[in-house]
Amino acid sequence: MNGWILLPVFLPVIAGIFLLLMLSCERRRLHQAAGTVLVISALLALLAAWTGEKSVTLFYLMKDIPVYFHIDGISRIFVTFTSIVWVCVGIYAFVYMEHEGAEKRFFGFYLMVYGVLVALEFSGNLVTMYFFYELMTLTSAPMVLHNGSREAIMAALKYLFYSLCGAYMGLFGIYFLYQNCDTLTFTPGGTLNPALAQDHRTILLIAVFAMLVGFGAKAGMLPLHAWLPAAHPVAPSPASAVFSGIVVKAGVLAAIRTVYYVVGPDFIRGTWVQTAWMVLALVTVFMGSMMAYREPVFKKRLAYSTVSQISYILFGLSLLTPMGMTGALLHTVFHAFIKSALFLTAGVFIFECGKARVSELTGIGKRMPKTIWCYTFASLALIGIPPACGFVSKWYLAEGALHADVGIFGWLGPVVLLVSALLTAGYLLPVTMKGFFPGKGNGENSGMKKASVEISGVQNGITDDRDTGKKEPSLMMLIPLGILASLTIILGVLPNPLIHYISQLVSGLM
Amino acid sequence: MSANIMVVVVLLPIVFGVLIPLIPFKTRRHMTWYVEGVVLLTSVLVWGLLISQPDGSFVLFRFTGNLSVSFRLDGLGTVFAGIVSSLWPLATLYSFEYMKHEGHEKFFFMFYVITYGVTLGIALAEDILTMYFFYEMLSLVTLPLIMHTLTREAILASRTYLYYSLGGAAFAFIGMIFILTFGTTSVFVPGGVIDTTALGDRQGLMLLIYVLCFCGFSVKAAMFPFSSWLPKAGVAPTPVTALLHAVAVVKAGAFTVIRVTYYSFGTELLRGTWAQTVVLGLTIFTIVYGCSRALKETHLKRRLAWSTVSNLSYILFGAALMTPLGLVGALSHMVFHAVMKICSFFCAGAVIYKTGRNYIHELNGFGRKMPKVFTIFTISGMALMGVPGLCGFVSKWNLAKAAAASENPLGYLGVAALLVSALLTAIYMMTISLRAFFPGRDFDYDMISDVEDPNWMMILPLVIFVIAMFVFGLHSEPVITALESIAAAMN
Repeated sequence: MNGWILLPVFLPVIAGIFLLLMLSCERRRLHQAAGTVLVISALLALLAAWTGEKSVTLFYLMKDIPVYFHIDGISRIFVTFTSIVWVCVGIYAFVYMEHEGAEKRFFGFYLMVYGVLVALEFSGNLVTMYFFYELMTLTSAPMVLHNGSREAIMAALKYLFYSLCGAYMGLFGIYFLYQNCDTLTFTPGGTLNPALAQDHRTILLIAVFAMLVGFGAKAGMLPLHAWLPAAHPVAPSPASAVFSGIVVKAGVLAAIRTVYYVVGPDFIRGTWVQTAWMVLALVTVFMGSMMAYREPVFKKRLAYSTVSQISYILFGLSLLTPMGMTGALLHTVFHAFIKSALFLTAGVFIFECGKARVSELTGIGKRMPKTIWCYTFASLALIGIPPACGFVSKWYLAEGALHADVGIFGWLGPVVLLVSALLTAGYLLPVTMKGFFPGKGNGENSGMKKASVEISGVQNGITDDRDTGKKEPSLMMLIPLGILASLTIILGVLPNPLIHYISQLVSGLM
Repeated sequence: MSANIMVVVVLLPIVFGVLIPLIPFKTRRHMTWYVEGVVLLTSVLVWGLLISQPDGSFVLFRFTGNLSVSFRLDGLGTVFAGIVSSLWPLATLYSFEYMKHEGHEKFFFMFYVITYGVTLGIALAEDILTMYFFYEMLSLVTLPLIMHTLTREAILASRTYLYYSLGGAAFAFIGMIFILTFGTTSVFVPGGVIDTTALGDRQGLMLLIYVLCFCGFSVKAAMFPFSSWLPKAGVAPTPVTALLHAVAVVKAGAFTVIRVTYYSFGTELLRGTWAQTVVLGLTIFTIVYGCSRALKETHLKRRLAWSTVSNLSYILFGAALMTPLGLVGALSHMVFHAVMKICSFFCAGAVIYKTGRNYIHELNGFGRKMPKVFTIFTISGMALMGVPGLCGFVSKWNLAKAAAASENPLGYLGVAALLVSALLTAIYMMTISLRAFFPGRDFDYDMISDVEDPNWMMILPLVIFVIAMFVFGLHSEPVITALESIAAAMN
């Protein structure tokens, strides 16, 4: 009996629904309950993931389509970083959500989305994955519109419709794959029926392309990326952190499952689909960095950065070589930690000082040095400066591109990655530099105080001591941030176990 | 149960319905008992028939020669009769509460009950003449229901309905004549009855007639360009719009289309011809057109009516694929759409009944005041979108499966149209739910302090529908297997 592996799915979902239905609850009790459920389900998820391959069929959705879960190497990686980030951000949120209000609703959905994500990562066939993919969209939308302002509701609608549009493009592909595959169960190397695939080559390529673009919507790939910069600034910071770090990775997971486990990399290698995928990914990498570079609102800048970074991963996947895929998986893991750490610092700035724009962060390093150090480590990792972890994944991505047989993209890819890394440095490091070395003329800052209060919507009444004295956030916020930030360094210094694990996994695939 | 029961279930509601205005009921309650009693009795008899599946036909009377009004229960009829007989008692229960504020209840319930019998007549018709006869009757008996409020708008709407229906019936009549002329028999036979040797080189003509006939019967199913009567008919009381204009009448249109396509003309004759291209093109266009119009519409019931237009064309699209799989898709959507749409209409009706508000922009913040109704409305919206786990996903899956397997480029286009329509459905349904549940931070709930959930008579049908949506969504196998066995008879 492997049924227990679904406990980390059902426990948080049921607890989440229970929280939503509960009439009222004392704040401390709520935190205790939500925290306990979160930690227990994360432990269960890790236990389920790391105790060998297991599969379980829940029931039959349709005659030949079971709701089927199977834990393999990919699920293991995804579940691990999801659980770590989710728990860290959850603990952070206990403090942070105080000023956002409606905590019961937030934690209700927060738990539910975790359960759904675990189910998504454990899914063993395409339809089960689609089921939870759509459920995740629906359950995560309320986290975007949390503060109930008009922009937040519009952003949530945008998120919902981009995601659904993407999901339906994916479904379009699933219909045709169902017709032409032996089974929709994930099988390394793909399950396309060669005879049928030969007859329906054109429509199948169109279907696969639709799936890649569609699942790319969640991953912020052009042309369906626009929800990301809209949703992040309005969502509460913990929500942004998990959206950017984890939820967008669902798109990556869906692309991996489609290409490597159902269609098979051989079918699209050398076709226009591969070329188009690479072009879209590279254009997104460049465009995302450019947009981030010229964006003044801090969280929006980070959102554009996510757009760009996820497309690194997609580019690695589009190479269809073991090395590219290794790089992509490494970057998936690293980016999850890096980006959630960055968003948590953005949250600290908003929570403690009500500052949402980059220009207001001048001199902030004096007041919260620990926070800024965490930020700096994560930034270095994202830029890819050794020994931080981003270097490792980018190395593999560039090597993969150079060794892949993809014509002009073999060298164009690394060039774009490098340019984007420069831009990344350009948009992340000024915060650290200005933070520690404000220079002269800091006085203009106080003039913007009022505006910043309005922008971030924070009115916690602290105005006088805002620009003076140390004001680190509480430990409940600082420790999760510190864990995530130090992971980015530790994984950069000691990447070998992870690389070893991933390359073994990938060599089994191709 | 013997075949004779078939004539009973058709005539019983008609006769007892006609009697309603004549019986001097002491109180309103007596009348409601009488009406629910008649409807329930009929439904029980129908279920008895469906379970026992009597073989054999019953001839009510003969005109001349082989032209007769006769009944026979087959697989397709079972599906339609099953839908109608399950929904009618629930809708009746709902309308007792709803009709309190509309008035003229005796006349309303008279026609409401008669319509039940007439619809069953369509479902059980053995030959094309009988079906045509009841089809025409359906137009006439539902007319007073649309006119019910007697406002100018209602009278105009009923006039539009009448013209469209009669026009459609005229086209259908032409089709019927040709079937009677070139068919080996007037009875419905799986696979068609057209005698190709008698047809000779007039095949092109026959295809033209098929297109006319398809369009004629699709008027009731509100296919473009004959769809505008349906949203206009939304002025009728909600039980009518919910049961007749989302289920009985429009599905009768789809049902008759399936009958003539698969049982009279025969798919052998039609598959791969220009006639199929034309009808496929029209249905695909309507799928997108209906959704786009729904998106533009700000009146709640009219938005749902446009959504019906689009969803009915899902069924017609499945039918027009002219493969057994297509038929399975069409029938599954026929069953599931009935549940989803009647549910969303009943929610709309509950809003109108409790608050008198008709427009979507007036619904801000209702989610907190009418939590049951709006939760159910959201679930039905998700089902219509095709969220997995709810029944809409299953029928869309079957439709798309059939289209992807059809080897027809228009079929592929149809899959895309289904998904575009799903996205548009998400927009027009979810914006309502979001508005209701998240009216914005500054919303003043005192403005709608008088809004509340309706009583159990309205909630009970809704809850049953929601359960049905989940059950069909998670465990659709028995239904789909039954539909497949019907479709298997085609080959």
